[in-house]
Amino acid sequence: MAEEEVSKYVTLVSNDGFEFVVLREAVLISPMIKSMVDTKNSFREARLSGRCKFEEISGQVMEKVVEYFHYWYKNREKEDVPDMDIPAELCLELLVAADFLGLDSKKPPPPRGV
Amino acid sequence: MAPPNNEAMIEAMMKALALSAARGIPPANFQFRPQPIVAPNADEFDFNWKQLESALRDIHEKNASGLSFEQLYRYAYKIVLKKAGDRLYENVKQFEERWFTDKVCPRIFDLISRNLVDMTLNDVPGSSVVERRSMGERFLKGIREAWEEHNTSMNMTADILMYLDRGFTQGQNRPTIFAATIGLFRDHILRATIHETNCIVFDIFNATILDQINMEREGDVIDKALLRSCTSMLDSLYRTDEENEDEKLYFEVFEPVFLESSHAFYKNECERLLQEGDAATWLRHTQRRLDEESDRCATTISLTSLPKILAVVEQELISKHLEEFMNLDGSGVRAMIDNDRIEDLKLLYQLVSRIDPKKSALKTALSVRVIELGYEIEKVLAQTDFAVLADEASATNGDKSKNKRNNASAQLTAAAVKWVADVLALKVRFDRLLSDCFADDLTLQTALTKSFAEFINRFDRSAEYLSLYIDHNLKAGVKDKSEAEVELVLEQAITLLRYLEGKDQFETYYQKHLARRLLQQKSSDLEVETEMISRMKRELGNSFTHKFEGMFRDINLSKDMSEAYAKHVRGLGASSHDQIGLAINVLGGNNWPKETVGKYLGSEQTGPGINFPAEIKALQDSFYSFYSKDRTGRKLTWIASAGTAEIRSFFPKVPGEKSGPKSKDRRYELSVPTYGMAILLLFNDLPDGESLSFEEIQERTNIPQTDLINLLTGMSAIKSKRVLWKEPNPSGKTAPGDKFKFNNAFVSPTFKVKLASVNVANQVENDEERKETDERTLESRRHCIEAAVVRIMKQRKELEHQQLVMEVIQQISGQFKPDLSFIKNRITDLIDREYLERFERDGTGRAEYRYLA
Repeated sequence: MAEEEVSKYVTLVSNDGFEFVVLREAVLISPMIKSMVDTKNSFREARLSGRCKFEEISGQVMEKVVEYFHYWYKNREKEDVPDMDIPAELCLELLVAADFLGLDSKKPPPPRGV
Repeated sequence: MAPPNNEAMIEAMMKALALSAARGIPPANFQFRPQPIVAPNADEFDFNWKQLESALRDIHEKNASGLSFEQLYRYAYKIVLKKAGDRLYENVKQFEERWFTDKVCPRIFDLISRNLVDMTLNDVPGSSVVERRSMGERFLKGIREAWEEHNTSMNMTADILMYLDRGFTQGQNRPTIFAATIGLFRDHILRATIHETNCIVFDIFNATILDQINMEREGDVIDKALLRSCTSMLDSLYRTDEENEDEKLYFEVFEPVFLESSHAFYKNECERLLQEGDAATWLRHTQRRLDEESDRCATTISLTSLPKILAVVEQELISKHLEEFMNLDGSGVRAMIDNDRIEDLKLLYQLVSRIDPKKSALKTALSVRVIELGYEIEKVLAQTDFAVLADEASATNGDKSKNKRNNASAQLTAAAVKWVADVLALKVRFDRLLSDCFADDLTLQTALTKSFAEFINRFDRSAEYLSLYIDHNLKAGVKDKSEAEVELVLEQAITLLRYLEGKDQFETYYQKHLARRLLQQKSSDLEVETEMISRMKRELGNSFTHKFEGMFRDINLSKDMSEAYAKHVRGLGASSHDQIGLAINVLGGNNWPKETVGKYLGSEQTGPGINFPAEIKALQDSFYSFYSKDRTGRKLTWIASAGTAEIRSFFPKVPGEKSGPKSKDRRYELSVPTYGMAILLLFNDLPDGESLSFEEIQERTNIPQTDLINLLTGMSAIKSKRVLWKEPNPSGKTAPGDKFKFNNAFVSPTFKVKLASVNVANQVENDEERKETDERTLESRRHCIEAAVVRIMKQRKELEHQQLVMEVIQQISGQFKPDLSFIKNRITDLIDREYLERFERDGTGRAEYRYLA
């Protein structure tokens, strides 16, 4: 598998079985998912063509997370971007998920030696 | 608004949450996670840790492919959420330390054999290079392998423990888990002490790398990639877990020993090279070493060390013994210059420029050599007997009419031409070196110019020689030369002129030589003459060439005037003197050299001019009346010494000769100096066979004695020009008391015969004349300085000595380089003559001068 070309997409799976196919580049904003699908580390998720199951995240939340990934990816080099719509009732859960995925880091993870 | 980022997102969510809470609406569908949040439960921690611990082991054993990242991440996540981050942190550290002590260290320590320690640290000889190399490589490879494994494992570990860093470490201000674990390699391996030998692994490690590098310097092939890995390991480790950028182990530990060992290595090498004593080898070797070290930094160690290691090579191989190498006999700078070793000089320049932007050492060496070679030229010149040289030349030409003994004038010209040619050749040589080897370096160029100026000006006849050289080229050479060659001569003359300090001296000589060329019509191309002068003008300014231009103007005006006069005479109709053509040069007294004009103007020394024959006198009067028609009040003085005359002469057949030229009447056109004409005309009135004595001739013509001797010798001593028969001793030198008669038997193969005075040594100054010229130069310098002093003081009224001297030097530096004491004398003289007075300024006690109107 390692010899094969890395797929452009990864599949995120929620705890209730919803699958979301997302552009690989778009998920890299989450340092956690980034490490998870990093082929260098060769954990199970990286080996299974980027299929990642999240036992802690529901489909409803995951949908919003994926929407954010795409929202970020689409607008990452633009100025003056409209706010993303976030339903108030999902906020708390989204916060928890963002924390889990490392999306709230104030600064990027410290660099490491190679 | 900035591009979207996580932080802004979180903020938006928090705001929304706060809003809905304020409105009292509980978020719909809000479900709490199944697990209740409780205080850390020992069992739960142990369970999670056990899972992680086994994963860590799997990671080390490269068994991680079955592990789920999400799961492991979640274990750590839970532990941290339960506020047990510190325990996890400590547990991971302990686990890794244990792993190190149990599994990694023994493998490394096994590689460190007694031999390796002896060879690298204790410098014990006795094993072959091959052995040493392979042993070192084995050790380094072991280290590299362990490092790579550790590095990969720690990266993976840090990835699954990411939440620990975020949720715990960052808040605690502790090193990240990665920094804490990667540093174990440094603490447990590199800083470990091997007990039996009591040495530190790090020292062995460094020494082994250096040993390998030195092997490569000696020409062995080593595994560059291996060394590269080892040094880049040091580049990613830090002195502490704080990981401060400037505390990388590479800079902290490795680089200093590397530089130190390089110092030692190159020091030895330089001493060896010095003993070999060949600068060319040294140059090439040094250049090669510099290239090698650059390569090494790029491929084997780190590029960040490049400037430092180059500095080491520069210091050890170049700076320390630079002068010794440059002074080496047979291969040093001197030999390089003498043998045109272009490559060597180029290299030397490059190396010297590395260590010294001013290139002082090279500059000095070049200057010294230029001056030496300059003196060499003088010495050779002094030793060369130009009489002999010229003799050989004429012998090969088969020109028998030439005097056997070359006259002084030709000798001097030959010397001047040789001197100039030699100096120019030297200049060309160094110019080539400058462009080929020294990249047209400005500092070196300045130094060379200075050195040239120095030896040229130390040679006291340079001004005269330069002018003679130009004279020689304009007189004879130009005709056969192409435009480009002429251009070259002019250019070179100007080049040398630039170096000359005694420009006033040059002016005097040039004036003299130019006058002769113009009056005797020896100049072969007036256009070139004008070009030469306009170049001097460009170089030295109007005032320098003012007189020369005046001379040209006089000559041109005179030409017109001669023509106008001829026309005027024709208009008068036949008269007694219509057979004598007159070409006249009217010279303005100031522009012409004193030798030509002065004697007859000031005329105390020479008395009244010569007695012209009656025919000529009539001609003179006629011309004067013509001349003064337009210019009343002008006085014309006839300078017989500067003129020539062409005389149609008739030699009747010699009685008794049956055949041959003497049996017929002969007509020749004799070209003689004006003096010569005056002499020859005396014989017109003399009956055949009668003679005139030297004294009679002198009395009737009033020609100065020396000129007369020269002339009479020229007309009697040489057989092909013997129009006068001298008694006694026809072919000898004329002396007072000799008698002369018209030589009826004169025969010449050519119709035109040129009779010149012999031994006049026109161009040359004999010593006396030179003394006179020097005296005159000195005199004019005296005036020049006095004029400058007065000019300055008139303007400034009061001035200190030092300032005055400086301004004087500034004003006259275009003409010559004055001596300080010379200026001082002039000032004193001016004080004596009451142009200035000395006074003391109140308070300062310093002497100043005041201008007296």
